[in-house]
Amino acid sequence: MNLMSHLIAGFPDAETSIAIADALVKGGANILEIQLAFSDPSADGPAIQTASTIALDKGYSTKQGLEIVKKIHERHPETPIYIMTYGSLAFTPGIDNFVRMCKDSGVSACIIPDLPFDCDEGLTEACKKHGLENIPVAAPSMTKERLETMASKGFKYIYAALRAGTTGSETTIDQATLDFIDTVGKGGAKVLGGFGIRNGEQSKVLSKHVYAVVAGSVFVNIVLGNEDSAEGRKKAIAEIEAKARELVG
Amino acid sequence: MTSTVSNNGFFDKFGGKYVAEIIRRPLDDLEAAFNKYIHDPEFLEELRIIQRDYIGRETPLYYAPTATELLGGAQIYIKLEGLANTGAHKINNAIGQCLLAKKMGKTRIIAETGAGQHGLATAAACAKLGLECVVYMGEVDVRRQQPNVATMEMYGAKVVPVTSGSRTLKDAVNEAMRDWATNFKNTHYVLGSALGPAPFPDIVRTFQSIIGEEVKRQAAERNIDIAAVVACVGGGSNSIGVFTPFINDANVRLIGAEAGGIGPNVGENAARMTGNASREGIVQGYKSRFLIDEDGQSMPTRSISAGLDYMGIGPQLAALGESGRVEFTAFLDKEALDAVKFFARNEGILFALESAHAGAAAMKIAKELPKDKALVINMSGRGDKDIFITSPVFRPEKWKEFLKAELKRLENNEDIHDAEIMNN
Ligand SMILES: Cc1ncc(COP(=O)(O)O)c(C=O)c1O
Repeated sequence: MNLMSHLIAGFPDAETSIAIADALVKGGANILEIQLAFSDPSADGPAIQTASTIALDKGYSTKQGLEIVKKIHERHPETPIYIMTYGSLAFTPGIDNFVRMCKDSGVSACIIPDLPFDCDEGLTEACKKHGLENIPVAAPSMTKERLETMASKGFKYIYAALRAGTTGSETTIDQATLDFIDTVGKGGAKVLGGFGIRNGEQSKVLSKHVYAVVAGSVFVNIVLGNEDSAEGRKKAIAEIEAKARELVG
Repeated sequence: MTSTVSNNGFFDKFGGKYVAEIIRRPLDDLEAAFNKYIHDPEFLEELRIIQRDYIGRETPLYYAPTATELLGGAQIYIKLEGLANTGAHKINNAIGQCLLAKKMGKTRIIAETGAGQHGLATAAACAKLGLECVVYMGEVDVRRQQPNVATMEMYGAKVVPVTSGSRTLKDAVNEAMRDWATNFKNTHYVLGSALGPAPFPDIVRTFQSIIGEEVKRQAAERNIDIAAVVACVGGGSNSIGVFTPFINDANVRLIGAEAGGIGPNVGENAARMTGNASREGIVQGYKSRFLIDEDGQSMPTRSISAGLDYMGIGPQLAALGESGRVEFTAFLDKEALDAVKFFARNEGILFALESAHAGAAAMKIAKELPKDKALVINMSGRGDKDIFITSPVFRPEKWKEFLKAELKRLENNEDIHDAEIMNN
């Protein structure tokens, strides 16, 4: 199965975030979703917000974040890297400029949930121009109409956020969720499904229905609380590799 | 003619609905419900009665004779929104949205608050309308705005301290958005200013426009010839509320007063339309002018008035500012304090620190205007709530003594009649 696993560039620090990427790849993750920390990540839960604040406090802004991404790309050239961040970080430097910077750092797709597909400030176009994919994020609460419009826009991938809320709580895979995934993929997009994946059992069930299982806050939570000592970080990195392995199954 | 409503959520290039899809549905549902009820005579009549009997509308348009004489220019009039129940204009919006939520079948209300004025108004509106109320408030603000926290709890609201990010207003907004994304089936989010994603700027302006409509009617009844209207601008709800009926009246200057804080540099103020600390951006669901850095990260803000201490400005005001229809100026903390003193001493009217920025603007421009014309100051709130901020400035020693004595009394668990201070 495909596992898209998430980390935040610069959390808890540059070196450790690179080691986390190594551990995720070693554990079997075959896509890396790397988040550029933003001061107001309102579509994320408390764990990712806390981790983002830690990264920002250490000064990992866009430029330094993308330098980390570039290093990770150089270590794992075969593993696609998708950047996840918020509209402010893409719009402020100029969307085209932002996408070009991503491209130069080895990124192959952008996930920016608050630049909606029907009002994206030119993100899809800029991605096309630079050879990247724009990956929109679908939510189960969307009206059927809106979801079908998104699904029919020709996106190569769509990220399906598998519950009504934000990252960080448990996911149950019920019939409604499976129907949602079906609709997301209706137009031919490959579905990246996640939010709240905690264990191998969940990812195994989900993997049958999606192109890739997405796991994010589970890894961030392993690091949180362990980031202040070298020993804690080392332990967290080992645990992350084991968790990735568990999720890949 | 300048349109006074959005074009599909946009005011020129500003505004929009830049939100993750998880929050899209509740916004679209809200927009549909608002467009329905705002034309429903029954809803409007119910709102009108509450405005009259509960909020205490209309609020007076007060002629300030001493201020007029001392400032030596236009006749000064003060719109006393501070006399609205709960002490500020915030209640106009809170009641409107809570009533709308009730019509939509929602039973639970959430709100963000910085200073606590909007939280307080929402808590009161919920108590009045029988709705459950949860107010998100940054941990830092909970600590520095205890009187409002206490009052919100008195109204039965649950105040949740927000510990993420900078632990202030913007983080309370993020937290409220998260709650809404999860609980929108039974919950409405009452946003407190004329900003955020569409349809909030249109909704908040609509409920706050009663301020300007009253001013216009009061002026017509009394043959007052208005040359200018000034209002303070935090997110922009009281200002857009008082400006709206005048936007297409070219004879009336519209002036917005922002928080100049302690100076012009980054982190020293909350001026989005003047100075050079701000830029165009997309943050918290809308496109406007923000105090963000060159990457797009939010930057710290500063103002003595908690209600103006926010990084963004409502998109309609940003558009009106760029087109030149609304003139913006910024006033320092100390100029706002001087204005509080000036109107208290000379008119017996105590401005909230936020509103005092409008007072300071009036003090500056009154003499530019002819004596036969009127300058209307929107006093968005009254200053009772600021006693913990103004007392340490105006009478620090006595205030310190008072607080020490109160603390001692509390620690000894004494009634005020038995306290030491009563016996010496
Ligand atoms: C009395 C008063 N005036 C003004 C404001 C600023 O808000 P706005 O610009 O939305 O009117 C506040 C906000 O808390 C307030 O309490």
